[in-house]
Amino acid sequence: MSLNTNEAKLLSALTTRGSDAAKIARGLDFIVIAILFFAIIAALHIHMMLTVGDWDFWVDWKDRMNWVTLTPMLLIVIPAALSYPFMEKFGLPIAGTLCGLCLLIGVWLSRYFSFHLWTYFPMSMVWPSIVIPGLLLMDLVYLLSRNLFATAIFGGGSVAFAFAPANWPILAPYHVPVIHMDQVVNVADLIGYTFTRTATPEYLRMIERGTLRTFGGESTIISTFFSAFVCMVLFVIWWKIGKWLTHLGRVPNVLKKHVGYDEHDVLEEK
Amino acid sequence: MAVTQDDIVKKGDIKPWKFKLKPVFMGMLTLLVIMATARWYQQWAAWDYGLDATDPLFDEYWMKLFWVQITVLPIIFIVSVSYMWLTRDKHLNNITPREDLNRMIFWISMLIVYAFAFYFAGSLYAEQDATWHQTVVRDTSFTPSHIFLFYGTMPIFIIIGFNLFFYAITRLPFFAKKISIPLIVTVCGPFMLLPTVGYNEWGHAFWLMEEYFTVPLHWGFVFFGWSIIALAGLLIQIMNYLIELMPKVFSEKGELMS
Amino acid sequence: MNKTTVFKKSVLIFLLFIVSTVVYAHGERNQEPFLRMKTLHWYDATWSIKNEAVIQVNDEVILEGKVHFFSRWPQVINKPDVIFLANATPGPVFIREESYLNEVPMIQSTGVELGNVYEYKVKLKARIPGRHHVHPMINVESAGGLVGPGIWVTVEGNADDFVYSVETRTGQTIDNLGTYATGNVYKWHAIWGAIALFWIIWWIRRPLLIERYLMVKDGQWSKLITLTDIKLGASLVVFIIGLLIYANMITKEAHKYTIPLQGGKAEIDKKPNPNEGLVQVKNKKAEYYLPGRTVTIDAEITNNHDLPVHLGEFTSANLRFINHQSAAGLQGVDEGYPSELVADESLIIDDQKPIMPGETRRINIDATDAAWEVERLSSLLNDPDSSYGALLFFYDTNGKRIVSEVYGQILPTFLD
Repeated sequence: MSLNTNEAKLLSALTTRGSDAAKIARGLDFIVIAILFFAIIAALHIHMMLTVGDWDFWVDWKDRMNWVTLTPMLLIVIPAALSYPFMEKFGLPIAGTLCGLCLLIGVWLSRYFSFHLWTYFPMSMVWPSIVIPGLLLMDLVYLLSRNLFATAIFGGGSVAFAFAPANWPILAPYHVPVIHMDQVVNVADLIGYTFTRTATPEYLRMIERGTLRTFGGESTIISTFFSAFVCMVLFVIWWKIGKWLTHLGRVPNVLKKHVGYDEHDVLEEK
Repeated sequence: MAVTQDDIVKKGDIKPWKFKLKPVFMGMLTLLVIMATARWYQQWAAWDYGLDATDPLFDEYWMKLFWVQITVLPIIFIVSVSYMWLTRDKHLNNITPREDLNRMIFWISMLIVYAFAFYFAGSLYAEQDATWHQTVVRDTSFTPSHIFLFYGTMPIFIIIGFNLFFYAITRLPFFAKKISIPLIVTVCGPFMLLPTVGYNEWGHAFWLMEEYFTVPLHWGFVFFGWSIIALAGLLIQIMNYLIELMPKVFSEKGELMS
Repeated sequence: MNKTTVFKKSVLIFLLFIVSTVVYAHGERNQEPFLRMKTLHWYDATWSIKNEAVIQVNDEVILEGKVHFFSRWPQVINKPDVIFLANATPGPVFIREESYLNEVPMIQSTGVELGNVYEYKVKLKARIPGRHHVHPMINVESAGGLVGPGIWVTVEGNADDFVYSVETRTGQTIDNLGTYATGNVYKWHAIWGAIALFWIIWWIRRPLLIERYLMVKDGQWSKLITLTDIKLGASLVVFIIGLLIYANMITKEAHKYTIPLQGGKAEIDKKPNPNEGLVQVKNKKAEYYLPGRTVTIDAEITNNHDLPVHLGEFTSANLRFINHQSAAGLQGVDEGYPSELVADESLIIDDQKPIMPGETRRINIDATDAAWEVERLSSLLNDPDSSYGALLFFYDTNGKRIVSEVYGQILPTFLD
């Protein structure tokens, strides 16, 4: 791949520090960053909230089975798709990290302003999962390998492998046992029980209820491995979907004659 | 060393470059004020008057607001989109590359307002709906969270999207000559939210009595969230166009030629 | 109806058609009458405070009473094999300290048998100031929350004064369950956020879009991703993995004993009902009159008890109709019971004579009150199932109460 004459001229113009072209290009950078910032928050947040939201909202839903398995799988979708344009078109290994950061801004604002200030849930009940380490590792593997399959396996896998270890430090205090009304529960269960969640009773929790053979208590590891394998596959699939969506073309505009174009106007296709 | 703007401006021929960001800030500020007001309203009116749809005070504080929204917002939509079309540039084939670039950059900057509106619809108010319905017993389709989410933020977001689309096809040569599919997906695709809302309420009325948030009934909204990936496609199309357009506007040393 | 109202209603109906929904009544009245009348019947409900009481943040409220699971449960919802005893309050404005069903703690969900009555007890603690409606409630899987009678409570004080402390099994005292371990959550989120932000800034400090786009096109990858970038990236990989390992090590030290979320089921036994079958009631004909303020039931009552009985009360969907000619019936209504749930007018029975042992008698019961309309029970007309269920309270000459079910089809009668 190489540049034609005009493109080479443009590149030269852009790399002339202090030139108008450089300034405008830099301004455009920040405009696009602002667009992507808000758009990624919205898109990734709505995607996550409606696929794994229930587990992310509540401390007493964060189990060893569904939460650990499903969150990485659903988390990787948009970052994998955006990895294609970010890396293959701009050489930027930041899709995962940017997605993770944007998601966290969106969820924290929601938990604080909606769950806490509006419906009065305490922050100990509604804190969101940590997602950054796995997504950042995904970007770093892409940076170091620049290879789809290596990134899928080691990067995609990382999104799952890093999930439980990243969250255990903040979850562990909530899994300390408590005796309440002569029953043993952990602090998370007790928080869920105590702070009345009128329309979301205990039985709605889609958590491990004791049907998983735990092989000596290693449920988390089993869930992680399963999630990792699925993440590896999903990375490839969504990267390819990202590629497809990036290359959507154009279709004829029947209204163009109203703005001064006729059939003889030809546009170079790129 | 690049020839500076001042040298060129002194010649009197070429206008110096300025990013027209005032409309962006005004747009964002307007949205912020609207959304903050809605949120402030919910803080007290939802609890005091929003729990019981059979209460006459519910009509007073919530249903009136609903009626205002569904009357005013479609009118704004029709008026603004019509305005965009009626004031279209009828001689797009004659605009200068500089003017083309000016308008393109301006239009891209207005996408910030669109994305900001998308934030409120897709992030803050959307998750807020979970907060409300997982807390109180479900009422009618017109709840304090729905009235602002479905009948406020989503129409606003759609209005901005359609206006951006019509601006693009009436004032930007690149988008007027041929319709960009990512553009349609990104700015008009969210229109599909409205039927999704219908489907959602249908399901809640007839089947879904329990308040899970992560259920297949809601996944139409997820699909709309994926339009972000098309935004990347739009960006690439714009990049391709700009690398053709900019050499007509800048010299090899990066100075403005027109 | 004037033109504006007609127009408004037409638009609303049109809109509703578009959004394909049916307008139901409020939260606690949001279910069809046939569901509400044939699921739970709450009685002997007491609150440890009066209706319209004013209490302070941290004050306790105890809800006690009985809940009867109707034997002719609607087939459209799941049987109550999975239920959860709760309180219908506007979210965590009250916290739940304790709850029991038949004296069994109800942190978990449980299952019950139809046709039986269970004793509930829910202990709440006031947390957020405001005026709140407080009811007992049972969530039934697939049906949602079925709400009992409620009282209004005004909570005064400052939400910041709320305290709820807990002792863990490992000997740690949690001063405030609402803020427990949140500092640690914020800390780790901030650490990872900072690392992410660093990585983003590392890239966006350089020209991003057009320049890089052209360089990619030109294949200038060594300029796009420099050796420094690669070294930094590799270091970050090691750092992240190291940080994860370290964080987990110190967590393991700090919290040696942890247990997973407890997802088991609370097991309870029904209490034997010695009065079962003592008075049998068969619905012969039931009607409701529109506008919906009257329900009449023509019922056949068989007294299998060895003492005469009379009807003291008729109750359905939290509404109570008392036979004013029954002293026992009147005594059954506590002074503080929410008056909007007790009909002003008496339960009218055409034949007030006690039913003798072994006797079968047809009587006509008339329950009239505006409450039927307020509770939206008149919307029976819009239901795909025009049936009802209710409890009848009989009293024998010793004052013993016998609770019987009555159920059947209910017919609309139109009065102009």
